Amino acid sequence: MPRLVFDDVRISYTTRDDAAGRGLVTAVDGVSLVLEPGSTLGLAGESGCGKSTLALSVLRLLPANATVTGQILLGDDDVTTMSFGRLRAVRWTEAAVVFQGAMHSLNPVQKVSDQIEEALKLHSLASYPDRAARLKRVRELLTLVDLPVVKASSYPHELSGGQKQRIMIAMALACDPELIIADEPTTALDVIVQAQVLDVLTGLVRDRGLSLIMISHDLSVLAATCERICVMQAGRIVEEGPSLRVMTAPEHPHTRALAAAFPLIGDPASRRSLPGYTAPDAPTAAPSETVTEPGDVVLEVRDLSVEFASRGQRVKAVDHVNLAFRQGEIVALVGQSGSGKTTLARTILGLEEPTSGAVLYEGAPLSHRRKALKEYRRHVQFVLQDPTASLNPKHTVYEAVAEGPRLHKLPGNERDIVATALEQAELTPPEKYFNAIPQELSGGQRQRVVIAGALALSPTFLVADEPVASLDASVRGEILALLLRLKNELGLGALVITHDLGLAWNIADRVVVMKQGEIVEQGSVEEVLLNPQHEYTRKLLSVVPSAQAASGQDFVGA
Amino acid sequence: MTAVTVRSKRSIAAARRRDRAVEVWREFARNRGGLVGLAILLVVILLAICAPLIAPATLLDVTKVDGLPNQAPTWQYPLGTDPAGRSVLLLLLWGSRISLLVGFSATIVSMVIGTLVGMSAGHFRGVGQAIILRVIDFFLVVPSLVLAIVLSTVLSRGAITIIIAIGLTSWAGTARLVRSQTLTIESRPYIERSWALGAGNAHILGKHVLPAVLPLVLAHTTLTVGSAIIAESTLSFLGLGDPTTVSWGTMLKSALDTGAATAGFWWYVLPPGIAIVLVVLCFTLVGRAFEAVINPTLRGR
Repeated sequence: MPRLVFDDVRISYTTRDDAAGRGLVTAVDGVSLVLEPGSTLGLAGESGCGKSTLALSVLRLLPANATVTGQILLGDDDVTTMSFGRLRAVRWTEAAVVFQGAMHSLNPVQKVSDQIEEALKLHSLASYPDRAARLKRVRELLTLVDLPVVKASSYPHELSGGQKQRIMIAMALACDPELIIADEPTTALDVIVQAQVLDVLTGLVRDRGLSLIMISHDLSVLAATCERICVMQAGRIVEEGPSLRVMTAPEHPHTRALAAAFPLIGDPASRRSLPGYTAPDAPTAAPSETVTEPGDVVLEVRDLSVEFASRGQRVKAVDHVNLAFRQGEIVALVGQSGSGKTTLARTILGLEEPTSGAVLYEGAPLSHRRKALKEYRRHVQFVLQDPTASLNPKHTVYEAVAEGPRLHKLPGNERDIVATALEQAELTPPEKYFNAIPQELSGGQRQRVVIAGALALSPTFLVADEPVASLDASVRGEILALLLRLKNELGLGALVITHDLGLAWNIADRVVVMKQGEIVEQGSVEEVLLNPQHEYTRKLLSVVPSAQAASGQDFVGA
Repeated sequence: MTAVTVRSKRSIAAARRRDRAVEVWREFARNRGGLVGLAILLVVILLAICAPLIAPATLLDVTKVDGLPNQAPTWQYPLGTDPAGRSVLLLLLWGSRISLLVGFSATIVSMVIGTLVGMSAGHFRGVGQAIILRVIDFFLVVPSLVLAIVLSTVLSRGAITIIIAIGLTSWAGTARLVRSQTLTIESRPYIERSWALGAGNAHILGKHVLPAVLPLVLAHTTLTVGSAIIAESTLSFLGLGDPTTVSWGTMLKSALDTGAATAGFWWYVLPPGIAIVLVVLCFTLVGRAFEAVINPTLRGR
């Protein structure tokens, strides 16, 4: 008997719509799926394709305005018609969920052991009648997810992101469920931690015969953990098949787009080339005469250190870093979260004062006097991680882009400056966007507005902090193509901070690897990524989920 | 910059503001209590403005009135007369002028101080912030009634004094509110982006923080007007107002002084009291309705 069956499931949300009365939004549109015991299934798709809605419907965790039709069979019970008492019993004991964003799913004022114990108290009081038995079980669970037992008495804020995610998995496992639903379990984590969490999950599936549904927008993550992948688009399943086949020979155009968005490092087809744009100096491009050579050094970081005082201790975020950035060169700064990447970027932008050392722009040290800093900011601009948060929701696109020129009282017609900047950021025709407010735009368009706001000052250098980390896979490619195009057409240099090595392979000229505030390796992309010297770089590269890793795993499994 | 650009930009902004106003009104109109409150308030304000047209000031001149003192309600004097023989209804009408004027003006004083101090307390760091915060704390813990009494005895008697006294003692709560909102806004990445674009303190505060705290301040304003009216009545009742002008507070005071309250002349005691309660209640209803418009999570609670 299958563990879980979706039979022609449709889920729609009733929303309040001011103009047309009550609106009906269909999130899942006729999905049928079967999950056998002990098998693993990946649900892939972009945000808004209905993958999370589908997964949450298994435990009827959807909000009250959702309507479900069709059958969802968990074992041989139909979830949609189950009584509430039965549903409570089923939740966590037969199927458990690992929620997205472990940081927000744990109660900050309770010890993690109490939070794991809570599930036991609610559902398995019979098997663990007293506190001692339950605590013993908590210790077992922590061992199961590779956490030291002492961590049981920590509070969530004392744990790292990966540790919190493993606590979430331990909670899900508490009552020995037969099905685990993991909703983007690794999205907010960096590559190394992501690999650890995925390892824990695959290990559990292998050793305990669990069934697993994993949701992600990243096909390579799914390929590394799941036997089968379903690709969803607009509430429908557009492709389903074995992971390796979906990954290497996608049939549906949407799957192809998803697969192409995460490049294979070392694949010349994706070097300096993205869907929609190929740089003149890409290996795949036709040999051309106009190849921009990196120019002079515009920005230099000399022996820079930044320290923070934290609970009476000095914490070195950036430790004696030396770097030089040339005009028309894209440098990727990679490292795990907490390696000091963002602090380095903020210091380069003058948003943070260095403890020692200096930032030099065109040879002159950066002063922290207000006037000098303002002049400097005309030339070096910033693109932030989350475009939604980095635009004032009350300002129109026009105002957001015109903010910089107004602050610097740039000469010339403001409207022309804004229009040119929007055009450079590929928002055409610009007049169409003038009047829009951020919430009317898609994530990719918002990031383009942020980039246009920076371009309006005609800077010589751009610092981008994880510019695509919060965007969908297909949009990721577009924004990276834009950065590459700006470099080639405007000669704009850029420092792109990322934890995604594939991004470096896509667009960067040089890679700088940072670990705990120090630079451990730097060099051209080909040198560093194809022939890494430092063991940390090798470690970073080894955990990038890739098609090779997926095929290797399948091979072992068979 | 050419004239065309300016105009088109203004018209864009104007159109957006118009749309937003219509939207706010529609949300506000969903709240029946707020609508009722607003309607009553508009009537009261209209009556207060038109008082000289409805009843000339001479009708309140003690030397010219012909009514008997402390007369019970009749058709001629629907709410009876006061100890000087004046119509209580007319007193109530004229009293609303001072009560509302003081209520609104004191609120404006309090809001302006509260917003400025609150924004600076949220924006600046270090010593400046510490000093501003201690000043706010001082005004929060000082019993505001006592401070207002002291202020109005030190300054000359009159409506202006009462406005200043109320305004200076009631801004601290607003400042705290504005400060917390400022802190929330300033932690948003778009402030970071603005710094990186080269913005200074004035730009951050004026362009990003002020528009974001204003709706909150406005919703808070309507609630403050109510308490300012009560404070005005209290001060007048304690005899700190201008004895020559009529307000709801001075009416209550003279009712007490002349023994109307103990002699059973209810028509002189109840109307000003009920008027105060009614107007304050209306302001509260309107304020709550506005709060719900600004903070969508309050809707339906």
